Amino acid sequence: MDYSAPDERPITDAVKTEAQRALKERPSFSIRTRIILGFLMLFLFSLGINITSVIMLTRIQSKLGFLESASSYTFEVQQARRFEKNYFLYRTNLADAREHTYRAREILEGDREEMASVVGVAHFETMARHVDRYEELLSRLEEPNEKRGGDSPPYEEIEEELREHGAEMISVAGQLLAKERESVENMLQASKRILIFIIPVLFIVIVYVANFIARQMLQPLNRLMADTRRIADGDFTPITPRRRYRDEFTELAMALNHMWHQLVHRHDLLVQAHKLKAVGTLTAGVAHELNNPINNIMLTASMLEEDYKSLSDRERLDMVRDLLDQAERSRIIVRSLLDFARESELKTGLLQIRDPIEDVLQLTSNQIKLSKVKVVRQFAANLPPFHGDPHQINQVFLNLVLNAIDAMPHGGTLTVTTRIADERDYIMAEITDTGVGIPEHVLTNIFDPFFTSKPTGKGTGLGLSVSLGIIQKHGGEIRVRSRTGEGTTFTILLPMAKVPA
Amino acid sequence: MNGSLQIMLVDDEPIVGKRLKPALAKYGLEVEVFEDGPGALRRLREKEFDIVVTDVRMEDVDGMQVLEYVLANSKRTKVIIITGYATVEVAREALVKGAFDFIAKPFKPDDLRAVIDRAAKALGHPGIRKSDD
Ligand SMILES: Nc1ncnc2c1ncn2[C@@H]1O[C@H](COP(=O)(O)OP(=O)(O)OP(=O)(O)O)[C@@H](O)[C@H]1O
Ligand SMILES: [Mg+2]
Repeated sequence: MDYSAPDERPITDAVKTEAQRALKERPSFSIRTRIILGFLMLFLFSLGINITSVIMLTRIQSKLGFLESASSYTFEVQQARRFEKNYFLYRTNLADAREHTYRAREILEGDREEMASVVGVAHFETMARHVDRYEELLSRLEEPNEKRGGDSPPYEEIEEELREHGAEMISVAGQLLAKERESVENMLQASKRILIFIIPVLFIVIVYVANFIARQMLQPLNRLMADTRRIADGDFTPITPRRRYRDEFTELAMALNHMWHQLVHRHDLLVQAHKLKAVGTLTAGVAHELNNPINNIMLTASMLEEDYKSLSDRERLDMVRDLLDQAERSRIIVRSLLDFARESELKTGLLQIRDPIEDVLQLTSNQIKLSKVKVVRQFAANLPPFHGDPHQINQVFLNLVLNAIDAMPHGGTLTVTTRIADERDYIMAEITDTGVGIPEHVLTNIFDPFFTSKPTGKGTGLGLSVSLGIIQKHGGEIRVRSRTGEGTTFTILLPMAKVPA
Repeated sequence: MNGSLQIMLVDDEPIVGKRLKPALAKYGLEVEVFEDGPGALRRLREKEFDIVVTDVRMEDVDGMQVLEYVLANSKRTKVIIITGYATVEVAREALVKGAFDFIAKPFKPDDLRAVIDRAAKALGHPGIRKSDD
């Protein structure tokens, strides 16, 4: 009695192994690695900014150092010139002028490298040359003082040249100072601009990294959530890879696939268990119903034997025909049950909705008769077929009809309707009883496995849960509406088969 | 004809009546056959039978209702209930209510004859036996 399993198991097995293999075969690129990479990117970016800032600051610092030297140089040169003027006016302070020129040269010598690197070697050399010459001229001025009285013809020339070099020194120093001030100013401006500019860029980078990490985590989580919802809703296809790399979520997906596989298996076991239970119920009805033809056969055969000699040929023939009819009737009573109970190779195919319903009404005819239920058929003509497994669909209608019969212990009317559904591309079957109905607070529970209002031993509570599983597997839906004391209607919706035109 | 017992046989299976009527007639019993409860009840209103044999399971009016009607209207009539194989509770219920006896399907004509014989004796009748033809 391994109902539907041997044929179906290998298929789901194959689908499962295929999905698991595809999931596993992708190159591994763990979320952990991805997060580390994301943060590494952010770190490198910040590092770049830091290094740039440090370089800028170092350069500004050296510029400031230079500016200091340049301004003391300028100061010394200005002092020297002041004393130079005094000398020419009052012949005093020549020593002071020399002193200051000496200091100016010292500054130039001391910061030689630094200044040369800032103003350029050529420029620096010119500056140094001016100072050297200036100093030399000053010392020449001293000479004639010592040899006073001798002719000192170059005196005016010296003064002239001194003025020239002095002015040159001042103007070069001034230019230098101005230029360097400007460049420091520019560098400070630039650093400020970089710092201001960095804020939006850093913000964008952080948003991007955060987004990237969130996507890495949330996207597979959302997908798995959708997958579990899909599986719970009865879509029986496994999770297949949708990204190029394998990661931590792959394990989860594989675990879910395994769970899905077990669920399908358990569901099949439940279907099978409930089917056996239904067979039990039907067997009682069959035993009941068989009494009548067997009784007829027994009475007829007994009388045939008793009166064999005295009966006319016509009467004997009538009795033999009755015997045959009643034997046939017994066969029909037993056969539908055997057909239902028997394992069948038949799998999915195109079905007319009324066929399984008629099968089930035949199958339950004994129960129907026993409980004095009248059956009303309202079948629409020319309904399009649907795609399904006839045995599973039979089981659904059987569960619904048996439930309806159970709901009408003192008899009633069972109305079976088939028609095109209001929903596009669906056909519909309705099983309506005039039974006890289902209280509203229970209505949400009736599809739960093991929910039953029937005494233990009579109801397992599996019927509707199994039926729902089967109908969902067929892409359909079960609905119910009920009023206590008036009756219940179960509606089955099944998608029409797409028949090629 | 005076001494012959009046039998009503109710069963919605036509073959039951068709075979049992001659089977019982052979034993000197006068049998009226009905295939539905309402017809039987109508006839019961017109005529008192000695023995009513009724199937318990029928549409519209079942054997229990026939039994109740007879018990309410004709004290001396013996009611024999035909039950299905699996309905022991129904048989017990019938006996508690006041049926004379029950007989379970499937049965042979002789089984019914035996029960009718006991019922006849309970009615003070000498019992049934095959009438000479
Ligand atoms: N047509 C109906 N009328 C009234 N109540 C119903 C009807 N169909 C289902 N129910 C309620 O839903 C419950 C669950 O039904 P379900 O078929 O799942 O299990 P069950 O019939 O109790 O057990 P089993 O199917 O194993 O006999 C029933 O116990 C009953 O209370
Ligand atoms: Mg059920």
